[in-house]
Formats: sequence, C-alpha cells, structure tokens
Amino acid sequence: MRYYHLNNLNQHTGISRRRFLKDGMLVPLALAVAGGSISTLFLRRADARGFYLRPPGAVEETRFLAACVKCGKCAQACPYGSIKMAGGEAGIGIGTPHIVTREVPCHLCPDIPCAKTCPSGALDRKLNDIEKIRMGTAVIIDRENCLSLRGLRCEVCYRQCPLIDKAITIEPRHNTRTGVHSIMEPVIHADKCVGCGICENACVRDKPVIRVLAAIPGQKDYYEF
Amino acid sequence: MGLSRREFLKATAAAAAFAAAGTALLKPEVSEAAEDGIKWGKAPCRFCGTGCGVLVGVKNGKIVATKGDPAAPVNRGLNCIKGYFLSKILYGKDRLTTPLIRKGNKMVEASWDEAMTLIASKFKDAIATHGPDSVAMYGSGQWTVFEGYAASKLFKGGIGTNNIEPNARLCMASAVTGFMTTFASDEPMGCYDDLDLGDTYFLWGANMAECHPVLFSRLIDNRLKNPRVKIIDFGTRRTRTSQMADTYIKFNPQTDLALLNAIAHVIVEEKLYDDKFIKNHVVFKKGKTNIGYGLEDKFKFADDPKPMTFDEYREFLKTYTPEYAAKLSGVPAATIVEMARLYADKSRKVNSLWTMGFNQHSRGTWVNNLVYNVHLLTGKICKPGENPMSLTGQPSACGTAREVGTFTHRLPADMVVTNPEHRAKAEKIWGIPAGTIPAKPTYNATEMFRALDRGDIKVVWIQVTNPFQSLPNLNRYRKGARKGDGRFVVVSDMYPTKSTEVADVILPSASWVEKEGVFGNAERRTQQWYKQVDPPGQAKNDLWQTIELAKRLGHGNLFPYKYVEKEMWEEYRKFNEGQGKDLAPYEAYTKARGLRWPVINGRETLYRYAEGHDPYVKAGEGIKFYKNKNDGGKAVIWARPYEPAAEAPDKSYPFWLCTGRVLEHWHTGTMTGRVPELKRAYPSAVCEMHPDDAKRLGIKNLQKVKISSRRGTIILPVELNGRGKAEKGNVFVAFFDETKLINELCIDAYCPISGEPDYKKCAVKVEKA
Repeated sequence: MRYYHLNNLNQHTGISRRRFLKDGMLVPLALAVAGGSISTLFLRRADARGFYLRPPGAVEETRFLAACVKCGKCAQACPYGSIKMAGGEAGIGIGTPHIVTREVPCHLCPDIPCAKTCPSGALDRKLNDIEKIRMGTAVIIDRENCLSLRGLRCEVCYRQCPLIDKAITIEPRHNTRTGVHSIMEPVIHADKCVGCGICENACVRDKPVIRVLAAIPGQKDYYEF
Repeated sequence: MGLSRREFLKATAAAAAFAAAGTALLKPEVSEAAEDGIKWGKAPCRFCGTGCGVLVGVKNGKIVATKGDPAAPVNRGLNCIKGYFLSKILYGKDRLTTPLIRKGNKMVEASWDEAMTLIASKFKDAIATHGPDSVAMYGSGQWTVFEGYAASKLFKGGIGTNNIEPNARLCMASAVTGFMTTFASDEPMGCYDDLDLGDTYFLWGANMAECHPVLFSRLIDNRLKNPRVKIIDFGTRRTRTSQMADTYIKFNPQTDLALLNAIAHVIVEEKLYDDKFIKNHVVFKKGKTNIGYGLEDKFKFADDPKPMTFDEYREFLKTYTPEYAAKLSGVPAATIVEMARLYADKSRKVNSLWTMGFNQHSRGTWVNNLVYNVHLLTGKICKPGENPMSLTGQPSACGTAREVGTFTHRLPADMVVTNPEHRAKAEKIWGIPAGTIPAKPTYNATEMFRALDRGDIKVVWIQVTNPFQSLPNLNRYRKGARKGDGRFVVVSDMYPTKSTEVADVILPSASWVEKEGVFGNAERRTQQWYKQVDPPGQAKNDLWQTIELAKRLGHGNLFPYKYVEKEMWEEYRKFNEGQGKDLAPYEAYTKARGLRWPVINGRETLYRYAEGHDPYVKAGEGIKFYKNKNDGGKAVIWARPYEPAAEAPDKSYPFWLCTGRVLEHWHTGTMTGRVPELKRAYPSAVCEMHPDDAKRLGIKNLQKVKISSRRGTIILPVELNGRGKAEKGNVFVAFFDETKLINELCIDAYCPISGEPDYKKCAVKVEKA
C-alpha cells in the first residue's frame, strides 16, 4: 500500500522550500505567490502537516513530485473542478495537482478521467477501479466534537460516503446520557476508504471533525521481525 | 401577554422537574441565572412531527443558540442535524421583511396597509361577483394551532366557505381517514413509549432512520437492550432504515395491499387470531371497490359501507393466499407466512409504524385500514408496547390540521361540516348565526389548485407552505396560478420560494419563536411556546395577518380577544371537552413539556381506549373504542382489496418513480436550504437507480440522466450506490431541491377517500442526458 511518512514529507518540503527561496531567480515569483496564498492557507489548501491529497492514482509522493510535469491536464479533465494546482506554499510542489476537500472533494468518477490524461506517469493511467485507489484515509480526528458521537442524529459523513456501508459503517451503542437512545457511531474502515474527502467536505462542523489524512500502512495483528 | 417571562422561566423549571420525575432524573437546563446574559426558553422543534423539545437561548433580542431540551420527554436533550441548526433557519440572508405587491413582472415593496387593503378588495370583489366559494385559504401542518383555528373560523364561520385546506392533505390525510373509518376518531391510541416497550416492529413505507431520526435512535436502543427485539422493514427501496433493520422485505409498489391481506389470510386460516378480542371489540365491513384515482377534475367519491360477518371476511381473504400475494409483490410466500406468524406471536409485543409509503398512496385509506385489521385480529392494540402508530411529517399536522380540522370537510375535534349537529355546535361556540357554516365540503388540496387553474377559484391565500413546489403534476398548477383573468395569489412566507414566484402579493411572516404558538406532534402531545424574539423588519405573525383580513372583510367580531392566543385556546378547548380529546387549560401547557391528550384533571393519557389509562373507559371494560358509537364502541375490520396503482410502468415509461426526503433537508428545503452547513452536507437532488438497470442503459454512476414522465422532464445525476438503493425497475428522487422540481413528473392521482395524492408511484423513463 502506498503511504506518506509525515516526518519525511515535512523534512522534504522544508528543504525544498529553503532551496526554493534561496534561488534568486524565483524570489519575485515566490513573493507574488505567497501574497496570493494567505487566504488559501486559511482554507487549508495544504495540510499543516504537509499532507497533500493528490488526485486518484497518484504514485508515492516523492516519486509523484519527481514525475509530475505540472501540466494541469488532470485538473482540466476533472468535471467537478476538484483538482487545484498548488501555490507557492507547496514549495517544490508548486503547480502540482491536489484536492482541497473542504472546497470540492473527489467525486470518484467511474472512468477516472484525471488519471487517464496524465502524460507523465505521476497518476497511474492504467487505473480502472475507482474503489481500489488510496488517496488517503478518513479519520475522526476530533471525537469530542463529533455530533454523532454526542448522540445527535447527524452521521452526514456516513450517509454521504460514496462507499457507504463499506468505508464507513454505523455501529450503534447505548446512550447513557438519555437512557433510551442510541449513539450512532460512524466507524471508518481504512481498508475500504479511498480518501476522496467527501466526508470531510460534508461534515457540518466549522472545523471538520472527520479529515482525510495520509493513508496509514496496514499493520498485522501479530509481531513480525 | 398573560405570563411574564420571569413567571415562565420559573414555571418551565418546575415543569422540567415534573417531567424528569416521570422519566430519568435529568436536570433542567432552564434557569433564571442566565449564563453570559443568555435567556433560555422552551419550544418544540420547527421541523418534523416527532416534536423534539429544544431550548432557545436569546441574547440582545437575537437567538444565539438552540439545544436539545434535556427535560423534553420526546428527545431528552438530543436533536437530529436539522434540529441542531434550528435557529439558523430564522437568519437566512434573503428573509422577507416587507410586503411585496406585483406590478407587472416586478414585486414592489408596499406597506402592510396597502397590501392588506389590496388583498381585502380582491376577496370582496371575488365574493361579490362569484360567491364565497371563489376564495380560498391553503394552509399547513406547520401552522400553529392558533393560525389554523383563526383561518378555519374566518373561512367557515365568517366568509361562509369550506374552501380551506392544509398541506397535510398531501401528507397525512390517508392516516386521518384510516383512523376515522376504523376507529371513528383521529390519531393514534399509542405513544412513543411503545418504542421502548415493544419487541417486534414492522415498518411499512417509513424511512424512519432519516425522516424520524431521534425516534429511530430510540427504537435501535430498545434493540440494543433487548436481544429479542426484531425490526422488519417492508419497503420498495433499500434505505438507511432497511440497513439497520433485522429483516428488509422488498415488495413491488402498490402490493402492500395484497401483502397485508395475505398476512390477515394466514392469521385467519391458521386460527392465530384473538377470538375473544374480535368478539368483544370488532365489527366487519366492506366498502366500494374499483374506486378510481381522482385523475379527472371534480372527481367525487362516497363510500358505501356494508356490514359483513367474520365468515364473509374470511371468504374475502380466500383470494389472498400467500402464493397470490407473492406473485404480485415479489415477496416469497414463505416469508409472508413467517411474517403473519410473527405478527400473531402471542409472546411478542407487536407494533406497526408507517409514514408516507402508506399515506401517499392511491389506496392510502385502505392500506391504513389493512394494517389496523392485522392488529385488531391479533388484539395487539391499546396496550403498552403493542400498537399501530402512524408517524407524521409536520410539526403540527396533528395539532393543527387534524385536531383543529383545517380540511374542507372538517371542524375541530373530529367533527365534520356534513353533520348538522356538528355545524350547530361550532356555530354556537363561535357565536355565529345558525346556518353560517356551509354543509358541503368543496375541494381537497389537489382539487383546490385544479379549481384555481380552471378559474373557479379566483383568490387563494397560501400560508406556511410551498404548494408550487410540493403539489404533484406541478406544471399544470404552476401555469394555472399565473393564467391571469382575475386570479389572485397571496403567499405568506419567511423566504422567497417557488410559491412566492407565482404570487401577486407576498407577505413577510414571522416564524417559530418569533411568535407564540402551539404544535401537536404524532403522539398527541400538545406543546406550547412563547414568542422569544421579534421577527425581522416588518414581518408579522400569520395569525395577525388572518385576523387583519377578517377585520377588513367585516368579520373582526370573530376575534374579540385581548390576549389572542390564550383566549383563543380556551375557546378552542370547548370543542374538545367531553369528546375524548380534552385539552388542558392554556396555563398547563406553558409549564409542561407538552401533554398527551385527552388531558383530564391535569393528567395526560398514554393509551387511548384502554382501561386504567384512558379515563373514558369504565372499570371492567378493558378496551373500548368508545368513539365509534355507531358500531357499539367497536373498531372496524375492513375488507379492502388489492387494486393496481393509477399509473404503472409500461414499455414507454418502464420505471416506477418514488419521491421522498433525506435527513439533512426538510420538505421543500426552504428552511434547511438556508443553512449553509446542511446545504453543503447534501447540496442537490440525485436520481437513485439500481446498478443493473444503469448497466443495461449504459449509464455510469454520477452521469446525468433525463427522467421523464407523461407530465414533465428533469435532468439529474444518477446515484447507484448512495444512502438509498433503488430496487430494480425503480428510481427515487428527493423533493427538497427547488432547482430540480421532481414533482413536475408526479401524477396527481389521489386516494378517493382521503384525497391524498400518490407521490410514491408513477411511471417514468430514464435516458442518458
């Protein structure tokens, strides 16, 4: 399974940014982009921890950054306008395609037009099963503020999940607070979640309590040397 | 106002303590010690018929918070996601704040005086030229009791026309006629406590998981506590409810009639019925068959009930063998037998729950009758944890439309205009000359808008509802309203809607806690709230608007009140007294988190018709359906056959179309559509389709399709694997999206007895767009 290691990625982009800014020829451009990207930073165009949600079929991040020619064809092919080209805050990734889930998530087109148009191999053109992609994994990052976990009948993330009952299921349990209701807990199954971000987009909280994070590698339930 | 806010707050705290004593010990969160200067008051939720209690926090004249009311027995502090955002519905950017009058193609701002003068002159002209039946009021199950009562009193008792209808005709009318024909009194015998107390739940055409969210979580909790609990979902679409049910039984649309008769057949043939109960509490009847579909204008129907014996009923059921019903419905015969035995299992406490799948049905009254048949045969009725329960969709479909009786044929407390004694009683209470109330009902909702289209109705005033999105066969009625030639449409609303689009005058209305009100929920619970904030701009209470028209038409004497709400309540209460529908004095409701009627000596009734619960039932009687005097206090088992739908799929239009709701939005979306969070959570309508059908037509998930019926066409993206999964040969579209008017496709066929249209069945074709 493809995954990003957060520390590596941070290190990577950190170095890149330094190198990027050192490069005198690009300083004016960098300043212009930085000015324009303050608002986008607030929209968390880039994850604070350096995670970019790449379009379906993206190869491993380091290889992706090497391969992507920033042509924007994937963004053009996306019928929903989900794919944005990164600004200066992305460092070396400037101009690379990514998805800002809170704006427009990936709607998982069955024919995957974005990947099909990729000329560079940054996106896997041979991809033909949208349910097999792993852009990332949804995680309820703020259980305290999840309305469903507080017993309210929300579960918007679950009902809007394009892989409903596979990637997210509902597991009801008794609500001790009222004594007669059940808490309908949305449970995410990482082995099925494709990381499209529809749940994060749909979350009704100002700060979404469900977020797509870098896909976590599967670990076995026995110890391996 | 009779009570000061201080008194109210004290009273609610006391009532909360009272309510808590009866249930779990919950601390009331209402107190005078305002946190951060926020004052909290109680109100029922503005959305569905569940009737959850909320606390409204007000600071500096604006609502700053709403939260589930921990002292409310219905929801104990919980809400669904709509209820969570409840206060936001008042603060949409495009709130209507001033009256608007049409000048050509423009809506021009006007004063209330100008607007009301114009409306009154149109009413007067139409009445003088064409008679009182040329003016009409179209109201709502979201009307407060006062708004509905005032409208009914003005139209029936003042203007002298029965041209008054609520949108509840589109939603609950079949439940009403079901109750009336079987028990001779509207509304359920049981209450929500049955969700905790039973162990077997049959859901029929009800997506409770999405449409009654808080009640569903209560039902699921019952199952978590008790492994015996079984939930069986009968449906034509795999929903979130089906997903969580123990058993999902899909059936072909319309064949619920055959299924319920087959279940009764098995119960009778296998002698699983409660013989003693039947002897003591049941009579058998049959009515007319081949009763039509109301498709033609001015359709009329009157049933002709004939008594029959148990043996004749048994004979009637002979047709409905499990094999016959299996053929029609697609449900295996063995499953039907199994379900019949489960219904009749003496060790089980059985409940049936249903909503629009039954009510929006061209045989809606029949199918309501048929589910009662099963409960009456098995005697599983009027007992804690064992009842048939009709769930409702609007916050006061029961309290206002049904109890006040704002239908063309009704008067308060189950009375009807066709009965001279009922008219006389109403005229006496209203203090109007005998003979004022016309004896003939005029139009049901669909017929009312047909009459507007034809020009028989000239002036119609629409309050608290959005018919020009919610009527079936919408194209006809939208065009009809704008035909000109003296037609005049007044719409009172809080936001611009598909109905204000066709209006000649738009009146800005106060909503929810911007006015004082009373709602009645599905379990007979009457809930009061005070006005807690001022409406924006010049927006005004619909009650004030109606009374203002009354004054200008010379009927101001019908409303001689100082504290309008309280005095009107005490007057309204006279209708209910001694009728098995007794209501408490107004004061009681200001304190309690709602009371379930009949309320006698301050005590509410959990189970109607049951000794020990219902004070109308004498000691030793056990169960008595005392409202059905004509049948000696017995309920009626009806022989109602299977008859096909008004329109079924054929070669040209091969799919069934069913419409409905999603959890995030409520009805036509005029309120939830103003909540950005809900809008983002579920932005627009989709067409649910079975993957096999899509494959056959070469349609991929999310691809746009053109859906057409004989009446209209819309384009929508297809969803093959969403929250609702269409069965083969069926498609489903939610009706909240005002940019995609699916109701243009719906057929305006209705149940001949209830007059309720069938939004669940018509024939469509689906093509790639």
